[in-house]
Amino acid sequence: MTVTVETIDLSKRYGYLYALKNVTLKINKGESVALMGPNGAGKTTLMKVIATHIVPSSGTMKIFGENPFKNGEKVRKRIGFVGHESFLYDELTIKENLFFYAKVFSVNNEDFLDIIDFLNLKRWYNVQVKQLSHGLRKRADIVRALIHNPELILLDELFAGLDAETCNILVDYFKSQQEKTIIISSHSTEWAKKLCMRGVFLNRGEIVKDKPF
Amino acid sequence: MGFISTALRIAEKDLKTEFRRFYEILSILTFSVSSILVCSFAWGESVVTRPEIAAAALWVILFFASVLAFTTSFAREADRGTLSGLKTLPCSPLAILLGKIIYSIILLSFILFILLAFSMVFLNLTLTEKFTDFLIIFLLGVVDLSFAGSFISGLVMFSEGKTLLLSFLLFPVCMPVLIPAVLATENIINGASIGNIAPELKLLIAFIFVIISVTTLTFKFVLEE
Repeated sequence: MTVTVETIDLSKRYGYLYALKNVTLKINKGESVALMGPNGAGKTTLMKVIATHIVPSSGTMKIFGENPFKNGEKVRKRIGFVGHESFLYDELTIKENLFFYAKVFSVNNEDFLDIIDFLNLKRWYNVQVKQLSHGLRKRADIVRALIHNPELILLDELFAGLDAETCNILVDYFKSQQEKTIIISSHSTEWAKKLCMRGVFLNRGEIVKDKPF
Repeated sequence: MGFISTALRIAEKDLKTEFRRFYEILSILTFSVSSILVCSFAWGESVVTRPEIAAAALWVILFFASVLAFTTSFAREADRGTLSGLKTLPCSPLAILLGKIIYSIILLSFILFILLAFSMVFLNLTLTEKFTDFLIIFLLGVVDLSFAGSFISGLVMFSEGKTLLLSFLLFPVCMPVLIPAVLATENIINGASIGNIAPELKLLIAFIFVIISVTTLTFKFVLEE
C-alpha cells in the first residue's frame, strides 16, 4: 500500500503551548480519514501542517514520500486544501477566481467544468463571490481546491454551516473520488462517518484514538 | 507555470481586485490631489520662484500615498484568509512577493501620473523640457518604494498594529530612496543633466539590489506561520 501522508513525532509549539504533540500518523493512498476532536484539539493545525502552510516545530513529515518543506512546490501541486475560511476573492466572480487558480496550476479552463456541474454552481458562475451564500461559497472553494485534480484532498470543517442537502452533495462527490486520499476535520461524527472509513481523535494536540468507523 | 508568469498572474488578480474596489484608489488619489492643492495654497508665489520645492512636496506626497497603498497589499490577504489560498499555489514565496511588487509598481505609477499632472498645474512644475529625465527618476523611485513597501507589508501583515508598524518601518527603510530621489528631482528642475545626477541614480539602483538580496534570503520565513 502506498503511503500518502506519514508523520513521525510531529509537534507544533506556540511559546509554551503545544498545538500538536508527538503526532505519529500514517495515511495510505485512497483512504478517507476524519480528524475529530473538541475545539483547540489541533485538527486545523495538523491540516495546515499537512498542507505545508505551517512549519512544525519538531518531528518529520513525508507527503508522497517527499519532504514537503524542501520540495514544497512539487508537493503542493498534488494537494487540494479547503480551509475553514474561503480562499476566494470577494470582488471577483467564481469564474475569475477559478481562472486565476487554473492559470497558476497550468490547468485548462474547461477541465473543471464537470465539477462545477456536479456541485450545481453553473448558475452562479459569473456572480461575484461576495454575493454568494456561505454554502455556495464553500462549494466554489471546493472547486478551487480540486481544480488541478489533486491526489490528496484536505477539507477543514467541511460540513460547518452547511445545510443537509449541500452536505449530501459533498459526501456523494467525495465518495465518488475513490482513488483520492481525503482528510477531513469535523465536529460532526454523523457526517464524518458517512464520508470517512477511519477516525483519528485528537485532544490537546495528541492523538488519543485512531480507529476505523 | 514559471516564476515570472505566476507573479504576473498574481499582479493581474490584485489589480482586478483593487479596481473593483475603486473607492480605495479614489481615497489615495483624493489625499494626493488635496495635498498638492494645500501645498499650492500655502506656498503661493514661492512655488513659481523656487520650483525645486515642488520636488520635495511631490516625493512626500508620493511616499504617504504609497503608505496607504501598501497597507492593503499583504494585509488584506492576511485579514480575509486569501493568503492561505496563495500558499496553496505551487510556487515559491518570492513569486507571490514579486506579484505584489508588480501590482504596487503599476498602482503607484498610476498615482504618480495623476500627481504629476496636478503638479504641473498647481505647483508650477515644468516637465516638458526634461520629461525623460523626470521619468527615469520617478520610475526608479516608484520601483524602489514598491520593493521596500511590499516586503514590509508582508513583514507586518500578521501583526496587531500593522498600519502603525508599516508607517514606522517604511520611513527609515525608504530614506535611501527618498533622499537621492528628492535631490535628483531638484537638480533636474534646476537645469542639471542626467549625467550630473548619476550618483543619485546609482543609489536608487543599488537600493533595488539590496532589497532583492534581503528578500531572497528572508521572505520565505515571512510567510511561515
